[in-house]
Amino acid sequence: MIANLLDGMVLGLQFGLLAAGLTLVYGLGGVLNLAYGQMAVISAMVVLFTIDAGVPLIPAIIVGLITGGLLGLILDLTILRPIYRRRGEARVLLSLLLTLGVAFIVDGFLNWRYPLLGLSIRVGSGPIELLGVRMPAGSIVASAVTIVALAALLYFFRATTMGRAVRSVIEDEEGARLVGVDPGRMLRLILILSGVLAALVAVTRSMVAPVNVTAGFGLTVNALIVTVVGGLGSVTGALLAGIILGIISTFAAAQIGTFLSLVILLVAAAITILIRPAGLLGVAE
Amino acid sequence: MLEVIGFAAGYEGGDVLEGIDFHVDEGEAVMIIGSNGAGKTTLFRSMIGLLATSSGSVQFEGEDITHLPAQRIVRLGISFVPAERHLFPRMTVQDNLALGAYPNRPDGETLDLVMRLFPRLAERRRQHAGTMSGGEQQMLAMGRALMAKPRLLVLDEPTTGLAPKLAAEAYEALGTLRERGLTVLVAEQQVPLALALCDRGYVLENGFIRLQGTSTELARNPEVRQAYLGVV
Repeated sequence: MIANLLDGMVLGLQFGLLAAGLTLVYGLGGVLNLAYGQMAVISAMVVLFTIDAGVPLIPAIIVGLITGGLLGLILDLTILRPIYRRRGEARVLLSLLLTLGVAFIVDGFLNWRYPLLGLSIRVGSGPIELLGVRMPAGSIVASAVTIVALAALLYFFRATTMGRAVRSVIEDEEGARLVGVDPGRMLRLILILSGVLAALVAVTRSMVAPVNVTAGFGLTVNALIVTVVGGLGSVTGALLAGIILGIISTFAAAQIGTFLSLVILLVAAAITILIRPAGLLGVAE
Repeated sequence: MLEVIGFAAGYEGGDVLEGIDFHVDEGEAVMIIGSNGAGKTTLFRSMIGLLATSSGSVQFEGEDITHLPAQRIVRLGISFVPAERHLFPRMTVQDNLALGAYPNRPDGETLDLVMRLFPRLAERRRQHAGTMSGGEQQMLAMGRALMAKPRLLVLDEPTTGLAPKLAAEAYEALGTLRERGLTVLVAEQQVPLALALCDRGYVLENGFIRLQGTSTELARNPEVRQAYLGVV
């Protein structure tokens, strides 16, 4: 019971971090990035190659995070350019189609060239006892890194001038421009940040279970569900929904079966949307 | 200080404004009056860089700002208070004001001035902007604009949706700011309040400037009296 709860929290924190990157890009730019999971996978593969090249673990992870950020920047500079010229629904739909295309191309390439690769990072030697439950060291380290990252993210948005500027664009783009915030620059910053978050999730995930080349779409779907439940554009909502869904998913997998856990996640998401159409912490338009 | 020449702007369907010329000198308060749909909002929104300008030019302190986006213009010293306010509803009063100073940290002296002008904002520092009354939101919008330390403050119908007492309060604050040397340009439908504040004014009708003059001249003009002051 407690073991499931703790496992669920570990997964949930990662869900939260994963969804934060997706929800911010949507809230800020009205762009739904379906290649998000592939950004995580590419970063994981770069970490793997860097380690294989003889680089120590920590620098290799840093290289992976930088890769994630660069992927975000590349998206902003290339495929998102025509998307930014559209408004409203056209923008969302075009972003869905174009990023889905990118996702298929990346998946196809990775499956063709490196079908068997997977990143798994081994942390510590034995399990660590927590609340009477023996948890793998990898889970504990992954959770600790995720918590620190989430705390840093919340601090950035609540307490720094730049973070407030990003929120101002989400709340009222015209108001933001009137105080001198450039929405385009903020969106670029957030795309880079979302790439780094995707890479960080891939790295922490690989401490718990291997991240294979095929993991991309699964990550995107999880991020989407958490985002919708948490409320589009809300980081705190993503965190809250992540933890709740992580626990539900772990319990479902343990009590009923892994094959049904995604279905149960979707049902939980559907129920939330029926009760609160804007998500847990979202604001109705 | 501000010089608008041969200005035309509008939306995709065509221009709403044509051949607009006006200017604002340093230290002046100037009003643009006109009824609903006369083009006041379009004029300000395109001048301030929120809408594209089709032709003509806008000069501010000798610099051409015609095609600059809003986020650049505010840094040159023009702050705009839109009629719809465009506050950040889920942020506190304090955070809204702090963003007014973006990209700098809020300056203590300016913050004190805003709090003295609008004591109610000081009381509600930690309240979310979205939960405040219309009058308080208007004060916050003006306060946020002042945090950027503008040399020219442009306001689009600051009395929209305000009870008469609150409208008078907003104009009282503008009067205080004028005395401190701030240049003000205001679009208004509530003409008596604007006449009392401003030195000069323009009457905008159907997208062009129909009349101009000092406040005294405008107040005596029979057309203005009939259309905007309710005097037959």
